Amino acid sequence: MSGAETVIRIDGVSQAFGAPGDPRRVVALESASLEIARGELLSLIGPSGCGKSTLLNIVGGLATPSTGQVTIAGQVVKGPSPQKVAFVFQENTLFPWRTVIDNVKLGMAFQGVPKSERDDRAQESLKAVGLADFTEHYPSQLSGGMKQRAQLARALGLQTEILLMDEPFAALDEQTRMVLGEDLSVLLARTGKTIVFVTHSLVEAVFLADRVAVLTARPGKIKKIISVEEAHPRKSSFMTSPKLSALRNELYELLHDEIRKTMTLRGETGQSHE
Amino acid sequence: MSKRLVQLGVLIAILVAWYVATLPGGVHPLLLPPPIPVFRNFGVLLTTSSIWPDLFVTVREWVTAFCLASTAGCLIGYLVSRSGYAVRVFDPLFAGLYSVPAILLFPLYLLFFGLGAGSKIAIGTTIAFFPVVLNTIAGLSYVDKAYITAAKSMGANSAQLFWSVMMPAAFPVILTGLRLGCIVAFLSILGGETISSLAGLGHRIVSLAENMETSQMFANILFAVAMAIIINGLVSFAEARGRRGFQ
Amino acid sequence: MSERRGPLLSPGITRLLVIIGLLVLWEVSARFYADPLFLCPPSQAVMALKHIFSEPKIVKAIEITVYEMVTAFLVSVAFGMTVGLAIGLHGFTKQAILPVVLLLYAIPQATILPLFVLSFGIGPAAKIAFGISHGIFPVIVTTVAGVQNLRAPLLTAAKSMGASRFQVFTSIIFPHMIPSFFTGMRLGMTAVLLGVLLAELYVSTAGIGFYTRLFAESFSPPDLFALIAVLAAIAVTLNEGCRTMERRFSRWHAM
Repeated sequence: MSGAETVIRIDGVSQAFGAPGDPRRVVALESASLEIARGELLSLIGPSGCGKSTLLNIVGGLATPSTGQVTIAGQVVKGPSPQKVAFVFQENTLFPWRTVIDNVKLGMAFQGVPKSERDDRAQESLKAVGLADFTEHYPSQLSGGMKQRAQLARALGLQTEILLMDEPFAALDEQTRMVLGEDLSVLLARTGKTIVFVTHSLVEAVFLADRVAVLTARPGKIKKIISVEEAHPRKSSFMTSPKLSALRNELYELLHDEIRKTMTLRGETGQSHE
Repeated sequence: MSKRLVQLGVLIAILVAWYVATLPGGVHPLLLPPPIPVFRNFGVLLTTSSIWPDLFVTVREWVTAFCLASTAGCLIGYLVSRSGYAVRVFDPLFAGLYSVPAILLFPLYLLFFGLGAGSKIAIGTTIAFFPVVLNTIAGLSYVDKAYITAAKSMGANSAQLFWSVMMPAAFPVILTGLRLGCIVAFLSILGGETISSLAGLGHRIVSLAENMETSQMFANILFAVAMAIIINGLVSFAEARGRRGFQ
Repeated sequence: MSERRGPLLSPGITRLLVIIGLLVLWEVSARFYADPLFLCPPSQAVMALKHIFSEPKIVKAIEITVYEMVTAFLVSVAFGMTVGLAIGLHGFTKQAILPVVLLLYAIPQATILPLFVLSFGIGPAAKIAFGISHGIFPVIVTTVAGVQNLRAPLLTAAKSMGASRFQVFTSIIFPHMIPSFFTGMRLGMTAVLLGVLLAELYVSTAGIGFYTRLFAESFSPPDLFALIAVLAAIAVTLNEGCRTMERRFSRWHAM
């Protein structure tokens, strides 16, 4: 990815909750800096509470950093920028009172797409995620995997250059996330979007990403960035390749100590159940 | 199937027990009239227009009280829910007032508005106001944050946020408040009419009781019970429909 | 999530100020604009408390009302829980009796109030009975619901560890029921208060109902306001007592 133009520039971003000096003050992120190139897929991985999601929200303008700044295509992020950035959330944020297609269209209405264009665009993005036959279903009638596909369709319908995904598959079972991961890789290779993808899963991070950024335990700092040199779309054979295993093991080494650190902080270790 | 049979059996057993209890040597007919004349009188109530004037009075009081309470409840609930601070100030205040039995205000309303419809409308409105306002506040102020974040990330402005996210999310809760308000308005108006009134279903039952016409009285009670059950059913149906309508 | 400067006052203090403001508004409007035959300023109502408490007959009527409330509450809880357990623990009785209970619960009880007075007279008996007729249903329904909500895996787990029927009852069913016991008590209390007060107000020849009518007909709003305030305070105290108990004993449930 070297030589590609930088789209997202994260510049010394820190985030703290609570006033300085307050004993309950929590520093979630500490001077994180990253550059993300156009068309790149970057995974953020780290122990829980390390500020991955906070960082994603800051990039998307849903949170304001305590210090530092994020620029997207040269402009400083000051609030949500729906024309440039779309989100896929971990929780199901499909509006349960609307059908799948109406959910996709509502997103466009929020973004300001003219009414006449919404239907075609919604159909198209639902087709892209494989939900063409479920447009008139309500979210409650869909399985967990289908709900996440519908959320992805809603984000794609916004036709933004950047897609931010916050553990989109965390609530799904392993087999569903495997299939969704493969489909996502195909889809994303086709659209050429710039993507930041937060995940807990080592394999998922390696399988999908061009680069994996590893965060330390709280306060989150960027510990290391690993490159995955593999063309998109990734085939299922990549999943079983020694290359993926090696990268996964490297991530495991990097993360292991950090995860222990957070567990000790929260008193979850002792008798190990692992 | 057998469940229905069991329930039917219990109902029949109750009717039989009622009949047996009123046989000579049983309960005094002034306290418990035999079932047959009661049902005969109930039939007369349904087929003649004698109950209409009183029914009209009660229904008019009820509809007025419900309209006043739901308008005030929704409006005030909406205004309070607009600020998280106002919710923290007013929600406990309304909840606290709700734990005072509002029927205690009835003597005051009698003093202010007289024995006629005014005092019934006032007590019905007061009692129905609380479930409506509390549910409106609860519905609008506890919308899942994830929906709001998602809508904001897609660029929703505040009008879109209110009409496309807040309202549909809060609607089922508000609807429950309206249903409860509708029912308690009816019950408290009946209560008010029973305590002191000039006309209405409650008044009718009390004057029959004072004249010791118990079998007539039972027929009228049966009428009020049937009405309450029908109202309950209709309002629950409307609630279910309303929920679906907004989905 | 970033630090925002909150309003200067805590919500509790603002709430207090709102209440004080409303009282001042009431005081001013009643003092200067209202007809003294109908509305009195709150200060006069407070003064009238002295009159209310110096009249032994009124104090007696209030005492009797409290006695009625407490008795009706205790009977409702005792009978309601027994019936609720009996209904809830057996499938057959639940099918047969619960619908009947729900049917009776749906009766607008105000309409049968004259019947209670016909049967029990104008004394405390009618009012206690009417209070029970209000209070017993919510207790039954919550108790049944409490038995119903018992999670099957807990029972299976207990049985797998060799618990006897008695042990299952004392260590699983009973602790599990405690929150719904207290919820039932709270709902029962609210209903009992309504029932007793309805009956008290209905009987205008004795008790509270006599005095509310007397004060209204003699156009002495301060006495009326004072009497109602005393009853409201009693009701709120009893309600809050139940609510506090519920919170205290249901704590594990919130976890």
